[in-house]
Amino acid sequence: MSKHVITVTNVFIAFQYLLARKKQSFLATLGVMLGVTTFIVMINFMTGVNDFLDDAVFNGSPDIIVSAKQKKSTSKQLFGVSINSLKKVNEINHLLSKEENVQSFAHQIISPAILVSENKQLPGSINGVFPSSEKKMVNLERRLIEGKGFGSLLDDDNAILLGVSLAKKLEVSVGDQLKMILPNGKSKHLNVAGIFSFGITTIDNVRTYFPAKTLQNLLGQPDAITHVHIKLEDRDDIRLKTELSQHIDKVLIEDWKDANKTIVIGNKVRDILTWSVSFALLLVAGFGMYNILNITVVNKRKDIAVLKTIGYSAKDVIFIFLVQSIGIGVLGALFGAGLGYLISYMISTTPLDTSDFIIVDTYPINFKLIYYVMGIVFGVLTTILAGYFPSKKASKVDPVTIIRGI
Amino acid sequence: MILETKHINKYFYEPEKHQVLQEVSLQIAPGELTAVYGESGSGKSTLLYILSTLDRDFEGELKILNHNIKELSATELTNFRNKHIGFVYQFHYLLPEFSVLQNIMLPAMKLGNKTKEEVKYDAMLLLKELGMQDFTKRPSYKLSGGQQQRVAIARALINNPALIVADEPTGNLDQKNSDMTFDLLKEITSSKEKAVVIATHNPKIYQNSDKTIEMIDGSIRL
Repeated sequence: MSKHVITVTNVFIAFQYLLARKKQSFLATLGVMLGVTTFIVMINFMTGVNDFLDDAVFNGSPDIIVSAKQKKSTSKQLFGVSINSLKKVNEINHLLSKEENVQSFAHQIISPAILVSENKQLPGSINGVFPSSEKKMVNLERRLIEGKGFGSLLDDDNAILLGVSLAKKLEVSVGDQLKMILPNGKSKHLNVAGIFSFGITTIDNVRTYFPAKTLQNLLGQPDAITHVHIKLEDRDDIRLKTELSQHIDKVLIEDWKDANKTIVIGNKVRDILTWSVSFALLLVAGFGMYNILNITVVNKRKDIAVLKTIGYSAKDVIFIFLVQSIGIGVLGALFGAGLGYLISYMISTTPLDTSDFIIVDTYPINFKLIYYVMGIVFGVLTTILAGYFPSKKASKVDPVTIIRGI
Repeated sequence: MILETKHINKYFYEPEKHQVLQEVSLQIAPGELTAVYGESGSGKSTLLYILSTLDRDFEGELKILNHNIKELSATELTNFRNKHIGFVYQFHYLLPEFSVLQNIMLPAMKLGNKTKEEVKYDAMLLLKELGMQDFTKRPSYKLSGGQQQRVAIARALINNPALIVADEPTGNLDQKNSDMTFDLLKEITSSKEKAVVIATHNPKIYQNSDKTIEMIDGSIRL
């Protein structure tokens, strides 16, 4: 569009038309506003939930787990059995150290155990970890509610860190003592050194961290490990899994997708929902806009004919009508972004009853600026698109036909 | 000459081919008020649309101020019309969303030769001459028929065009307003610079015009 078309006069004419039908203009603006608001609220909320879950799950659990296959127990005896450890640890280490996609990996020895506090007894499991390598896998400092992180495991051979739900069930807090009974019958007094929360019940209910060395000694299996946890640079590239299963036999290999199927699917469903609902709403707003402008063009055919006889070109007419839709679009989108922020903020401060699945105080909301920019751009684009066809139609009005028709 | 046509022929194709204008050749000089009259269907409106450059779908030649209208591009034509031709219609056709003053200013704002203040001044001057200076701020739809026609004439004159074309300008007015409108159009030619062409049924107009063109079945009789 040339400079001759973008004139103050044409913009003035456009706004005069908008103001002349305040009610319709208001409704069209409202339509765009609601579309943009919904888009922003939904995307803030849905990506908030997705990010929260991703963060909790992927920070709390490794991308690939290699573990020893447990033999089928031939006797019903629970105590006195030794733990089946990984045999080819050196081969696994070698394979992982030369693989580029491996960010870090850590060994664990996980053993069933019974935890006994003053008032409670709970069967569970003990994760024996090597603090210096586990630190690279899990950012526990961020997750701590009470006490200290992996550092305390180095200071105290009998220190244990507990998930918050587990600690609640055992009715212990930092500084309290616990007794641990292992399958071989040995027991040990432990000092609760820290309590953490990943925000996900399945982790917070069972996860413990304990020095691997102490556990190995208690089990009488020095140097034995049961699990290798692997963190990848690119989580979606799981070729490593195939490679491991080709080279190392008699092990179980599980990746994050296997372990978190419900969350992965949930994220996908939320994404689809967000985009389709937002798109549908913007479409409806666009149609509303299209309708209103179309009716205006039909009603204003005489005026358009007059404008054309007094010197306004077809391009001027397109511009005049397009400016009306852009005006509505920009106004609606800006108000929509504002309202979207307001509602998102209100949701983010709404207390959330802790469910069985996630543990969080308020709804997780993602306030990324890019979503507001996207909402505004989508809103304006929709109205431009919706306004273009009626504008084109207006520009084709033939003055002679209109004047003769009277 | 302000306007000159040579051998204009025009056909309608709906509902069947039919010749509306036959060999229309005429000249219009500055200072002339020309009345085109004839029965309904005689082709006078069609001729008027051609003379005012709105309809270019004809055979023959049309020259206005020595520009061959058929040779202008669409944009050039729009600008040409804006600058050199003023329109007055039977139904006034003011834009109801705009005030009296804004209606008059629109063609001049499009032309863009003057600042908004200058255009406003010109428009006020015209309104004063037409006795409408007290209605500047009023929305145009709140005027009587005669008042609207005066505003329409002011709008036609704002860019100081050489040719003013009026299609049944008195067709919708009572006797008093009809006389006044004609007097205004007549006065436009008094400076001997502009020409006015009126298509009309009104005998009072064609009896008092400088030149009359009678149309019978698409042909003219000077």
